[in-house]
Amino acid sequence: MKKIYIYALVSMFAITAVSCTKVIDLKLANDSGKLVIEGNITNVNGPQYIVLSRNVPFTSTNTYPPVSGATVTVSDDQGNTYPFLEAPAGTYTAPSIAAVADRTYKMTVITGGVTYTATSVMPAAVSLDSVTSKTSNFDPKGNRRGITVHLQDPPGIANQYRFVLWVNGVEVNTVFAFDDEFTDGRYVNGDLVENATDIYAGDSVRVEMQCIDKPIYTYWVTLMNQQRDSPGGGVAPSNPPSNISPACLGYFSAHTTQTLNIVVN
Amino acid sequence: MGKTLLFTLFLFITIPVFAQKKFTISGTIDDASTGEKLIGATVKIKELPQDGTITNSYGFYSISVPAGNYTLLYTYIGYSTVEQLVTLNQSRIYNISLHSKSELNEVVIRSNKPNNDNVTSPQMGQEKLNMAQVNNVPVLLGEKDILKTISLLPGIKSAGEGNTGFYVRGGASDQNLILLDEATVYNASHFFGFFSTFNSDAIKDVSIYKGGMPAEYGGRLSSVLDIKMNDGNNKDYTVQGGLGLISSRIKLEGPIVKNKGSFMISARRTYIDFFLHASSDSTLKGSSLYFYDLNAKANYHFDDKNALYISGYFGKDVLLLKNTFGTNWGNSTGTIRFNHLFNNRLFSNTSLVFSNYNYTIQDFQNSNYFKATSQITDVNFKEDLQYSMTTDHTLKFGLNILHHTIAPGSITTNSTSNFNNESVEERYGYENAAYVSDEWRLNNKLTLLYGIRLSGLFLLGPGTFKTYDAAGTTLTAQTYASGSLVKDYLNLEPRFTASYLLSDHSSIKASYNRNTQNIHLLSNSTSSTPTDLYVLSSNNIKPEIADQVSTGYFANFDENAYEFSGEIYYKWLQNQIDYKDGAQLIVNPDVESLLTYGTGRAYGMELFFKKKFGRFNGWVGYTLSRTELKFAAINNGQYFPATQDRTHDISVVGIYQLNKRWSFSSDFVYGTGNAVTFPTGKYQIGGLTTFSYSSRNGYRMPSANRLDIGATLEGKEHKKYHSSWTFGIYNVYAHRDPYIITFRDSKTVPNTTEAVETSIFATRIPSITWNFKF
Repeated sequence: MKKIYIYALVSMFAITAVSCTKVIDLKLANDSGKLVIEGNITNVNGPQYIVLSRNVPFTSTNTYPPVSGATVTVSDDQGNTYPFLEAPAGTYTAPSIAAVADRTYKMTVITGGVTYTATSVMPAAVSLDSVTSKTSNFDPKGNRRGITVHLQDPPGIANQYRFVLWVNGVEVNTVFAFDDEFTDGRYVNGDLVENATDIYAGDSVRVEMQCIDKPIYTYWVTLMNQQRDSPGGGVAPSNPPSNISPACLGYFSAHTTQTLNIVVN
Repeated sequence: MGKTLLFTLFLFITIPVFAQKKFTISGTIDDASTGEKLIGATVKIKELPQDGTITNSYGFYSISVPAGNYTLLYTYIGYSTVEQLVTLNQSRIYNISLHSKSELNEVVIRSNKPNNDNVTSPQMGQEKLNMAQVNNVPVLLGEKDILKTISLLPGIKSAGEGNTGFYVRGGASDQNLILLDEATVYNASHFFGFFSTFNSDAIKDVSIYKGGMPAEYGGRLSSVLDIKMNDGNNKDYTVQGGLGLISSRIKLEGPIVKNKGSFMISARRTYIDFFLHASSDSTLKGSSLYFYDLNAKANYHFDDKNALYISGYFGKDVLLLKNTFGTNWGNSTGTIRFNHLFNNRLFSNTSLVFSNYNYTIQDFQNSNYFKATSQITDVNFKEDLQYSMTTDHTLKFGLNILHHTIAPGSITTNSTSNFNNESVEERYGYENAAYVSDEWRLNNKLTLLYGIRLSGLFLLGPGTFKTYDAAGTTLTAQTYASGSLVKDYLNLEPRFTASYLLSDHSSIKASYNRNTQNIHLLSNSTSSTPTDLYVLSSNNIKPEIADQVSTGYFANFDENAYEFSGEIYYKWLQNQIDYKDGAQLIVNPDVESLLTYGTGRAYGMELFFKKKFGRFNGWVGYTLSRTELKFAAINNGQYFPATQDRTHDISVVGIYQLNKRWSFSSDFVYGTGNAVTFPTGKYQIGGLTTFSYSSRNGYRMPSANRLDIGATLEGKEHKKYHSSWTFGIYNVYAHRDPYIITFRDSKTVPNTTEAVETSIFATRIPSITWNFKF
């Protein structure tokens, strides 16, 4: 029940009434140089990207060394193979693929003498009806706004969704992943609950909806659960379960994509 | 194996019956002014210093000795000793009333020689809380709290600041059996753990067993916290209560029939929400935030042989944000007990116990409208017998039939809601047990306390029961008819303790015990949330098993005024539970597919030094310990420290009685930080900074420490009434104890990340309470 997290946030609000925070220095081990693969192909015909990089220590700046010189391909269960070419460094591009629902796509990445593979099943598209804004639950008296997405969930099949939210062109630092375990077949008005960016009237908001397969949902929902600063610490964080083998950081996802823009009122 | 053991046990204890002709002295011990039965009061015989007994939970004692002239000594902490001369040529009944020291207005509590039970008793790993001390230890906002006070004892650690959860010898917080008048209390916290459900006004006696668990207790791995409510004054009507910063409480007690029966009603309620209602803001006006507790008990003694006790507890938390969101949760328990004395050596208690925990979460907003509920209900029949067979043997045996009904969750919605109606099948099961134990004094020095408990879990239909493989894929699904057996587990739990007296004032003890647990709390949050989900052992979940060995040295000094103990323990844990990534536990019919199983080990040393009497009293406790878990899928199958692993833990409690009116108290705690998982690197995923992790719980929260002080001013003496003020300061030096550390993109330096520490109570929190009694 995702809404229960609201309740956790409400209780956290009660706690923060007497709490205070400060930035601290921690001695953390230097974990770096591990391969990160982020592969996405979508149902919209156009260039598709697979990005290879390495992780860096916590104390470094947020610049991630690209991994060059890899051989990257994607194939489907109909016998098609699409080569990906590197440009710029670390970003591998196929100029035009439109992934088809129910097909299984397989990513193959050869780098450093190791072959990494992952498969993902393209889900059927579900349409994002509309995006609206309303007074934020966290600020009932104030001017902050919350964003709500509206869609008709198809009955009888398991659907998983991921949303990406941009405010004035900047991606909001929150993962949104939902499934239809409790909403199967319903018309869903889903709140994108976030506390990372304050949204006000006049802001321009962009929402991307992705229909994702089950393993990718587990990947995102694991990240989402770890993001919540629930009281007492919540779930022990770990690297989310990747669908790539041998195991590395990242994922390969075949998903639908649809984007809507609104101006917040 | 089991049969042989039982047979041997009976063989041991039947032989001495035919020995020498003995007479029995039995009776009850109570408080002279209130008639409250005293639990754990000591009966000694001056002429036979090695013999003695203590009263049971109902104040009953029985001791058998050869004919002769004796001086009986009746003692209890904080009470004057009574001496009774007896010419024993037939069995006798002595019902003794002891006078409390506070009643005698003695400032210096040291008139009689305190006893050395802690050294001579074969029991180990047990701590008893003195309610007078609980009332003196300063606490957050002046809300006296037994759960917070027990966490000041060695081997027992608080789950964190502002959390009433506790860890005993490395066990998780759901591995504690919390009993209130024999009824299981499933969620002992109010307001997300800041306060406990036990209103100390209503509590008479608190015992916690960390090891050497007596055979009459079972069902949880780590500890038993046995809490007994007051019976009620059977001599006079009294009213007492208090006004505090966040709550008020009141207690009413008095005789139903003088000296034969009494009642007690005690209530507590917070009143933050009265301020909300006074608000001009309509949203706040319609919102609620409160909890309450109601304890009630009545008893009636038909004669010396038969007594009836009825007690109940009702508590609830309510949090409601008008038109938006609401949740409430609470426990209710009820216990009916019947004491019967078959003869002056055989005492029996028959109990019928009811216990329920439930929660409701509601969202009132149109599109999100839903109401989720969940509950667990127990009905428990218990028969416990205590047979004081000879001076050398005290036998306890009994059985327990406990029926669970677990409704894991259901969701009801309306037509405009996003959500569907949903419900997870109820689960039914019996948790049954039979036990026998014997306390055997072999000679003046060596005492054995040994026994065995046979525990069984019977998971029953109706319902569809699945089995899953390690990946969580359904292997089989079978539907069972109502009442048919789905799965059963039988476990034999040996319990053994030996104590050897080195001198009158020192002893060594050793124990081994096995405990099993068939009801498991699933929660992937470490904080105390009301959304507790309990599951029974099943096709997939095996009973959790703990084997513990411990040994210790116990010594008293200066005529028992000082007490020292040192214990070491080692525990092996089997079938421990953790969760797979992204596990969604709520209203999930396949919740068992999200679990993974492992083993654990816990070991440590506990040192305890206590000054029991005098103007200045208190204790110092120190624990050195380690708790590690091992799961195939976590940390490459290597042992990792459990969250509750805390290397060092120190608590110091001091209470000083300045004069008749003023007393002061203070406590200090220091503990190594909990084991936590911190990121060791970072990368970018989906355009966002994402952290990478190397090992589970590989880091430590900063150590925590805190000093609290308190003072009590007793009002001037009046014939009709008595009042007192309690003052306290929590966190005297305003230490910032870290509560949680989070990681994020820096808000000040672009393109970097930072660690942020959040503390609650980073400031001094004063409190004041006015107490009255008339």
